[in-house]
Amino acid sequence: MMKRTFAVMFTLMAVLPFFVGTATADDVKDSIHVGDAGAFTGDAAAPCMEIFNSAQIAVDEWNAKGGIQGAKIEHVMGDDAMDPAQAVNVAHKFVADDLMYGVIGPPMSHTAQATLKIYGTNDLACITTAASKPELTEQGYTHFFRVNARNDAHGPNCARYIVEELGAEKVAILNEKVAYTVNLATQTIKALKELGVTDIMQDTIVGGAKDYSAVMTKVKSYDPDVLFFMATAAPDHAIAVRQMKEFGIDAHYFATEGGRDKKDFIEAAEGAAEGAYIYHFSPDIYAIPEAKGYIEKYEKQYGSISGFGPPAYEAMNILLLAMNRAAEDGDITRKEVIEELHRIDGYEGILGFPITFNKKGDLAGGATYFFKVVDGDFKQVGVMSGNM
Amino acid sequence: MDILSQLPQQLINGLTLGGVYALIAIGYTMVYGILFMLNFAHGEIYMIGGFAGWWVLHLLSSGNRLVMHAALVIALMIVGAMAVSGLVGVLSERFAYRPLRQAPRMNALLSALGVSIFLQNLVLNFQGAKPRFFHVSALIPEGLRVIEVGGVVFSFMRGLVISVSFLFMGVLTYVVKKTKMGKAMRATAQDIEAANFMGIDTDRIIVMVFLIGSALGGAAGTLVGMLFTQVDYYVGFQAGIKGFTAAVLGGIGNIFGAMLGGIILGLLEALATSLFPSAYKDVVAFAVLIVVLIFKPSGLLGEPMREKV
Repeated sequence: MMKRTFAVMFTLMAVLPFFVGTATADDVKDSIHVGDAGAFTGDAAAPCMEIFNSAQIAVDEWNAKGGIQGAKIEHVMGDDAMDPAQAVNVAHKFVADDLMYGVIGPPMSHTAQATLKIYGTNDLACITTAASKPELTEQGYTHFFRVNARNDAHGPNCARYIVEELGAEKVAILNEKVAYTVNLATQTIKALKELGVTDIMQDTIVGGAKDYSAVMTKVKSYDPDVLFFMATAAPDHAIAVRQMKEFGIDAHYFATEGGRDKKDFIEAAEGAAEGAYIYHFSPDIYAIPEAKGYIEKYEKQYGSISGFGPPAYEAMNILLLAMNRAAEDGDITRKEVIEELHRIDGYEGILGFPITFNKKGDLAGGATYFFKVVDGDFKQVGVMSGNM
Repeated sequence: MDILSQLPQQLINGLTLGGVYALIAIGYTMVYGILFMLNFAHGEIYMIGGFAGWWVLHLLSSGNRLVMHAALVIALMIVGAMAVSGLVGVLSERFAYRPLRQAPRMNALLSALGVSIFLQNLVLNFQGAKPRFFHVSALIPEGLRVIEVGGVVFSFMRGLVISVSFLFMGVLTYVVKKTKMGKAMRATAQDIEAANFMGIDTDRIIVMVFLIGSALGGAAGTLVGMLFTQVDYYVGFQAGIKGFTAAVLGGIGNIFGAMLGGIILGLLEALATSLFPSAYKDVVAFAVLIVVLIFKPSGLLGEPMREKV
């Protein structure tokens, strides 16, 4: 008898908060949630944790200032392990959370694509810090924003860099066959052809395969000037650049943004990455004075910054700013947050350029930054402005 | 693109992969030969071998230098991986398969799946989700890093993987064909009950089979780690599928079939990459498997299965 009473009590204790949560959703008093969707386990765990930790710094700063109109902000992690199916689960969990008014991420195009409709139909604002497939903002949804440039900026910018700066006439492009790389390959090839480079080899790889020697043999017999290797995760770049050197392929290695990870790319390749080029959507943060406070906090708490963190800090600040404005009248809805995000105009943060979103939610005037691995570190060697 | 000029290189690539697949396939086929059970956890045994090798390398290096001679480190990595993987294999037999020996075969199969998930998550828990990087530079003798002859590249690590895997296959062949224990293994595989009546301790033979199969799987894991320089908790899945395919291709239950199947599968994958877009390499490999099974359902070297009475 006693046992049953306890069981009922425990069940009530477990279930009750959900009902209470619903009741106070619109007049948030004690706590308000922001989600963070990303691949916090798996090969992309390092950049995604950098995103999470950077967003956490912004949350901590806002909480220190009193949160959103007095309500404490809680930063909720949703791990999708790079898997679209798990990303859908995360999205369902987030939209079902009545205290949640905004999400950072998903950072990858394929997980963003898989969840676009779920977040969109539930009016939950998302700011991605890395997903760059153009179609994400071309499907009529108003809730999806990005602080990074799109592939149709990155592709042509990379093509221009490869042709104008590296002087390539023959280009080999290997892509991982996920939404982002397939699209980037298409955009890059289109732009290369417009620039007069028609000698292009294209093939696909499997991400996480740990071995690219068969396809590298193919690349070797093609003998390109530049090998543009499009893979999401830095460890794959480490293997690819190592095997490119092993096979004696005399080409510039050109990596996608995922490779910007000192430990998992440069150090993992044990010297083979020296001289490699890489493009990225975010600049060398150490060169921007406004970012000093963020850098100090990050390095003190979490270690070194690879480049994925700063846009997340920026995105979280923008999201919280919009939420705070939406909550100013003592009442907040998800729709209001989206409207406030569309009103963001020339936000000056730590990225070194003012942020304004266009009607689609894209960054007005994005840029692509280029780095070269010199003495075991990334050195910014160029920037090309977007053509959006 | 000149496919012929890629051929020699792809043969080397294929032989490297093939040797590894063969080592993995042996574990599947030995267990199946005796217990008629697919040990789905074998891929994880391979993965654990990779981690064991990484730890040996990690503990024996300080910074980028090794604390002892490189050849010794390589040997210890392989031996360490074999010991750890062998132990895990024997433990899984003792606690997950032996209690189910008399149960319907499906139960042991499900138990193997359980062991697979358990081991994968165990490693995920204790080693994390991020890949471990093998800093192999110090292992490779300077000057032997890469040997290039007429455009064909032969790296030290590839040579190591090929020679070690073929050495192990040779030793295993000798053990199975020439020693008393090998004879007992063959007898147990032929008819476990009769072998028991003849005074063979079949429980011990089964333990030996798990030990040898798992140790070879572990060796494969650490060899691949040295060659491709990374291991993570998830590598066992793909490797397990490839090893299983190789075993079936060669005729599951037949050790030499597993060796042949592994080498053929490795070569097929490499050559398919040259002929087709590389995303199709698995399609080609599995298409060949299907064709072989249509014409020879018991695999290349497999004997037609006789119903046991």
